[in-house]
Amino acid sequence: MSPIDRRLLTHIYWPLLAIIAVLFSVGVLNLYSASGFRMGDGVSLNPFYQKQCIWGLVGFFCMISLTLFDYRYLKHLAWPLMIATLVLLALVPVMGKTVYGAKRWLDFGVFSFQPSELAKIATLVVGALILSKDTGRLGWLGLLGVLAVALPPAAMVIVQPDLGSGLNILLLLCGMILYRGLTGRVFKVLLLVVPILVPCGWFFLKPYQKLRILTLFNPERDPLGSGYHIIQSQIAIGSGQMWGKGFLEGTQSQLRFLPEKHTDFAVAVFAEEWGFVGTIALVVLFSLFLYFLAGVSRDAKDRFGSFLAAGVFFYFFWQILINMGMVLGIMPVVGIPLPFISYGGSATIVNFCLIGIVLNVSMRRFVFKKT
Amino acid sequence: MPKTYEPDGGQQKPRGGLILLQSLILVLFCLFTLRLWYLQVHKGEHFADLARENQLRQASIIAGRGMILDRNGKTLAVNEPSFALGLIREDCEDIQGTLQKVSEWTGIDYHVLLDTYIRGKKRSKPFEPMVLISNLSYELLAKIEANAVSWPGLEILIRHKRFYPDGKLLAHVMGYVAEANEEELEKDSSLALGDHVGKQGLEFTLEQRLRGEKGLKQIEVDAYGREHDQQVILEPRSGNNLRLSIDADLQAFASKQLEGQAGAIVVLQPDTGKVLALVSQPSYDNNLFVLGIPAKTWKELRDDPMHPIQNRVAQSVYPPGSTFKVLMAACALSEGLVKTTDTAFCSGSYRVGDHDFHCWKKGGHGTVDMRSALVHSCDVYFYQLGEKLGIDRINRYALQAGFGTPTGIDLPHERSGLIPSTAWKKRRYGENWTRGETLNCSIGQGYVQVSPLQLAKFIGSVLNGGKVIRPSLVLDDPVDVQSKLALSDKDREFIVKAMADTVQAGTAQRLKRPDAVLGGKTGTAQVVKLVNADVRQKVHDMPYKYRDHAWLASWGIKDGKSYVVVCMVEHGGHGGETAGPMVKAVYDYLFGPVPGQAKTVKSEPQPQGEIGD
Repeated sequence: MSPIDRRLLTHIYWPLLAIIAVLFSVGVLNLYSASGFRMGDGVSLNPFYQKQCIWGLVGFFCMISLTLFDYRYLKHLAWPLMIATLVLLALVPVMGKTVYGAKRWLDFGVFSFQPSELAKIATLVVGALILSKDTGRLGWLGLLGVLAVALPPAAMVIVQPDLGSGLNILLLLCGMILYRGLTGRVFKVLLLVVPILVPCGWFFLKPYQKLRILTLFNPERDPLGSGYHIIQSQIAIGSGQMWGKGFLEGTQSQLRFLPEKHTDFAVAVFAEEWGFVGTIALVVLFSLFLYFLAGVSRDAKDRFGSFLAAGVFFYFFWQILINMGMVLGIMPVVGIPLPFISYGGSATIVNFCLIGIVLNVSMRRFVFKKT
Repeated sequence: MPKTYEPDGGQQKPRGGLILLQSLILVLFCLFTLRLWYLQVHKGEHFADLARENQLRQASIIAGRGMILDRNGKTLAVNEPSFALGLIREDCEDIQGTLQKVSEWTGIDYHVLLDTYIRGKKRSKPFEPMVLISNLSYELLAKIEANAVSWPGLEILIRHKRFYPDGKLLAHVMGYVAEANEEELEKDSSLALGDHVGKQGLEFTLEQRLRGEKGLKQIEVDAYGREHDQQVILEPRSGNNLRLSIDADLQAFASKQLEGQAGAIVVLQPDTGKVLALVSQPSYDNNLFVLGIPAKTWKELRDDPMHPIQNRVAQSVYPPGSTFKVLMAACALSEGLVKTTDTAFCSGSYRVGDHDFHCWKKGGHGTVDMRSALVHSCDVYFYQLGEKLGIDRINRYALQAGFGTPTGIDLPHERSGLIPSTAWKKRRYGENWTRGETLNCSIGQGYVQVSPLQLAKFIGSVLNGGKVIRPSLVLDDPVDVQSKLALSDKDREFIVKAMADTVQAGTAQRLKRPDAVLGGKTGTAQVVKLVNADVRQKVHDMPYKYRDHAWLASWGIKDGKSYVVVCMVEHGGHGGETAGPMVKAVYDYLFGPVPGQAKTVKSEPQPQGEIGD
């Protein structure tokens, strides 16, 4: 492992770093508003934003650490990482801590840990490793190979139950497969088969999950359960109108009509207070962020790095699409946070780690180029 | 560990990859922009309205139900605070869990609560608490208050509960209120689940006057239901207080007379139709119904052979027996068929076809005119009168006098009774009317059925100059004259005099008192037709259900005050014997003790009337 040298430092992808800083700051500011100041007469009842700052700090150090070595070293870590993940995931049902009716955490006394977060990174690295091995489009065999790697961790996460993280893992990998490209035959067959298989998946969903999907099409169907979230978040967003109600002035969120406003529905708080103009600005920021990630993938010096960056792209892309889609009422309510905006320790740290990997790839893009 | 990595075909990036990523970004951007435009700009106004509604809740303010007082101002129905458990469903994060908890605290079955919730959900306004459990006991109240804090959406509601201080005494008059049922809720949109409405008695018939109108308040709240501000938009309007014509003390006194018996006593003012006492025995405690009567208690009441729920004054009809002879006399006189001086001979029986119709007096009354026929209640005289009149004429006259139709008193479910006619029998049985049936009806037997209240109303009209007045229970309601008896004053006075003579020298001598004018007519109504008058047994030797009903219809005047008192004792035997002392006691109460014998009423030998009719 070569120590970091000055040359690498100058190659740090500053625009990406800057946009992360902006997004994270918006997130903390938004959490400050969602912490309910108006309610508690100046005393925050839920100091989420303070904790989020700490998570950000921890994440920042993780991110920096992940830039210190050559990312290609990850090739050697990929499989051990995956095995460790599977072992930890297997431990969850046995000695996991139950929170909100789901066993997702492993309690190590000092800190709790969600193996599903590790599964995301492991799947990303292993996926990138396998997919970058050969060139050309992916045939049946290759596809099955990749799925064989991704399905066990995804399935284990989904049964926890953590549909959000499980979907995230699956979609991340699907994205990377599409990025690699499928042979014409495989693509055509999948085009036929998937639309049939997806409805079949319906029968494997839990009743509440089915309800959430049905509710999407008709929020009045379950106005107290998931429909309530959709209705209330749409009221919050819609009532923001063009210019928003102003910082800390969102009645929906300040008066607590909006549930989960600090986690999955955080963007509704933002949309209410900053209006159409502010929210579009946020969408632009996210689009730019994704654009930068795509750029890293394009400029990476090797296929492994390119696939790593593409994987990170998809990881964030699906989260943004699903979370904002859900809050805006065009996607089912699935517990997926919005990167850098939603409150959450594990998610924040994982997000920064992944950015760290991307920065790593990015800053080494010139290493073997003649300058 | 220094390690060198060889480029692994770095420039061989997937060809379509980058295009895929960029188009995905574009799709994401467009999708969100369009949706945000739709929500925030296109529908922004609409959602802004909804957001305002979210902060402002409207809740109704319960209006107090009007109080009910007796004529002297004694309270008969009041409102007491009661506590209910309410649920604001929008504030409740976990309905099932909350209901489960409530079920644990209260011991009420979860499914019962769930059922209440589902019914309430249909009817409650958003953010308005629906009543889950009404009338919480203090014990439950304490339990819930201690626990409910951690269960958002639960709220203790203060409501009104009806209380009848004299439950049993006036149950048949007052009726009761109870929670509105599905049907009532459906019919009346101003009712919410848990609201009380009148179900029986005056509470039912005077519902609109008693209920009042709910108010409306606007509350600014957060999503946890915490109030920030509230403002009354519409003041509630309490229901009217009602003062009844009932004299609660008289009612209590009259009730006491009937204690242990099944029967009815009604006291009214003949000039106004105002009812002073309306006693139906046995009675029940109407407070039981307010809280929702337990199934077992309800079953006991319903299956009680004495039918305590039945209002015997207005909801029960009986053959009137000889008391009907007053109507027969009035009918015959107004038709001009007989003169008061016309006589008939009573040999103890009257033969029609091959059947003997007996007089209650075995040896017969000899020659009787109308006055002595009334005084001594001669059956044979009225058999002949009935023959002359014919059933259809009797029917017409009786209907005009208020029989065969509800009296119109402010109570629900009044019975019409029955005054037969040839057409009625044809319709009912498809048979022709017979002469014998006319004879039976002439002495108030056979098909004739009247309620004690109808009889009191009729006696009142004879006394008050012929005005047929609707009996009324509300003191300030105007006097409602329904019709007029077709009876000349002379003839009317004759009947009044004959009734007074009945007290002086006839079957109602028990009522006699020196300081007041009283008139009466006794009646003994056969429950089963006896084959032969000879087998008439002593009352107490007969099985209860075969014993005759005892009647006494009377009036009394003293110091310009006049009253009608009608008493009927189910299976009580002879009218004069059984009903007489009760009626006398009522007059003693109304007129005060007879001077000089105040304290010895009981030990004084009672004047004996003729026994038998």
